[in-house]
Amino acid sequence: MGHMIGKDYLQDHILEVAKNIVLAIHKAPQITGKTEIEVEIIWGKDLEPILAVLEPVAAAVRYVQWDYETIKRCYQRGESPVVIGIGTKVNTSNLAWNCGACGFNTCKEFNAYAKTVDGGQLGGPCCNWKILDYAIACDWACASAWQNKVDNRIMGSLGFALGALNYLPNSNVKLGLALGPARDMVYYSREDMHKVLNYEMDKMDMLRCIPTMFATFAGGGNPMYKTKDDWWAPPDFLNIGFSDEVMAALEKILYEQVPEALVKYSPQVEARYKKK
Amino acid sequence: MKKYVEDLNFEGEEFIRDWPFWSPQDIRRKKGVLEAARLMINSALTAPFAGGVPQIETHLIYGQNELEMLARKMEEIAHTNKNWEEPFLYEAVMVRDSDVIILLGNTRCHETPLDAGCGMCGGTLDCGYFYEKKKHKYGLVDITDRSSTRMIDGPLCTARVDDLGYAVGSALWTAYTLMVDARPFASIGMAGQKLGYCPNSGMVVGVPVAAKAKNPYVDVNADYHLINMEKVLDSARKMYATTRIIRGFDYRKWIPKRQKTGKEDE
Repeated sequence: MGHMIGKDYLQDHILEVAKNIVLAIHKAPQITGKTEIEVEIIWGKDLEPILAVLEPVAAAVRYVQWDYETIKRCYQRGESPVVIGIGTKVNTSNLAWNCGACGFNTCKEFNAYAKTVDGGQLGGPCCNWKILDYAIACDWACASAWQNKVDNRIMGSLGFALGALNYLPNSNVKLGLALGPARDMVYYSREDMHKVLNYEMDKMDMLRCIPTMFATFAGGGNPMYKTKDDWWAPPDFLNIGFSDEVMAALEKILYEQVPEALVKYSPQVEARYKKK
Repeated sequence: MKKYVEDLNFEGEEFIRDWPFWSPQDIRRKKGVLEAARLMINSALTAPFAGGVPQIETHLIYGQNELEMLARKMEEIAHTNKNWEEPFLYEAVMVRDSDVIILLGNTRCHETPLDAGCGMCGGTLDCGYFYEKKKHKYGLVDITDRSSTRMIDGPLCTARVDDLGYAVGSALWTAYTLMVDARPFASIGMAGQKLGYCPNSGMVVGVPVAAKAKNPYVDVNADYHLINMEKVLDSARKMYATTRIIRGFDYRKWIPKRQKTGKEDE
């Protein structure tokens, strides 16, 4: 006997769906059969460290801003997304295939090189056959989420945050799959962005990202750009060059603001693995 | 303008069976797998890619000669690397046992990277690892020199290779949903690429597809390239013919009868 009203119980159900998705991740077929996949499920208040890392990055990187704003606003409304962290260790090749895809003639040379680098924003370096195994697993996570009819998106932004906070400690490549809440269009055609986006931002993003769309007659060799209705009076020209302002902002984010969040939250993340 | 004329002639019958191989009824069965493979390719093309960028090309291969050519290329490659020898030879058998082969390639991983500074290719903070090892002018990669002797002309943009994995994953998901057997293989991808399939790709993965009582891609025995269904059938042809010769008699005049036992008399 029972009677369920409303949809609050669906938040709990999304967690159950997440467990099903983890099953799909581990069931996913592999090419090499030698790639270990590491998975964790994170939700509710435990998303706060991740949001704290993403917040400064979101100020400078648009796609991170979109992910950050969506997850944050859902969480603040009490409909927390559930994040599945998916990782793998692929900076060592145990294949001895010597295929050359990584840029070295042999796996041995790749393995020696891999020991000399710390990894970039999303980890690396990677054995390309093992990253294919990892990607198949991530794809099965997405497909499983769709088959369970939960809105979802696989996110590099979450992968960066998981890496910075050292979630999935045995992995050197990490991504995050955000799930739910239970409604349509959470991560696509995002309604939460209505409160963040405005026309001028949209126009400037278009202008910066696809400038040829706004270019005038190219015959002069230095075309004017149609940035306003009366674009000819006076005309604007594209200016290419090093930007102290942009680089300073990025450096501040990566070397000051993100580390501040890490100092605050990393010990509590690390403590969890010690308990286990 | 030519108008669509609806064909309402909906009647007929089809006999479908997996035996004998390459019989009309077996080819009808294979055509069903071909339809499934086409849907798998659609799934691959709709997989989630970084930035939603189109980057996948595919080849669909079927037919006895086409599969044989692919299998022989795999066998050729098998003998170039001790670590490949047995798995590649085993997988060549699987190709011959398949109905359809899908090749999925990424057209951007070697030429037009994601350029997002993710570091996945070389573990650094920018895309320098990729570009320092490539011939390029201001970031435009020159791929016209195809003389590399490596199996794959790396380095590749790992973010793009990651996207190829999503395409393969989606194709496999659809295969599993449609209950056709399929698995991803490096050997088939490399052989297909060397044969010129997926000609614009920097990396190719092969996904053989089959609908048979026994999944061709699992539960293989040791020395599978020497002992497999095709070889076993041929062995039966060899052994049975000789066995008949040594037991020959004129069946019109005499046929040996089973000796009756006392128990049968009761």
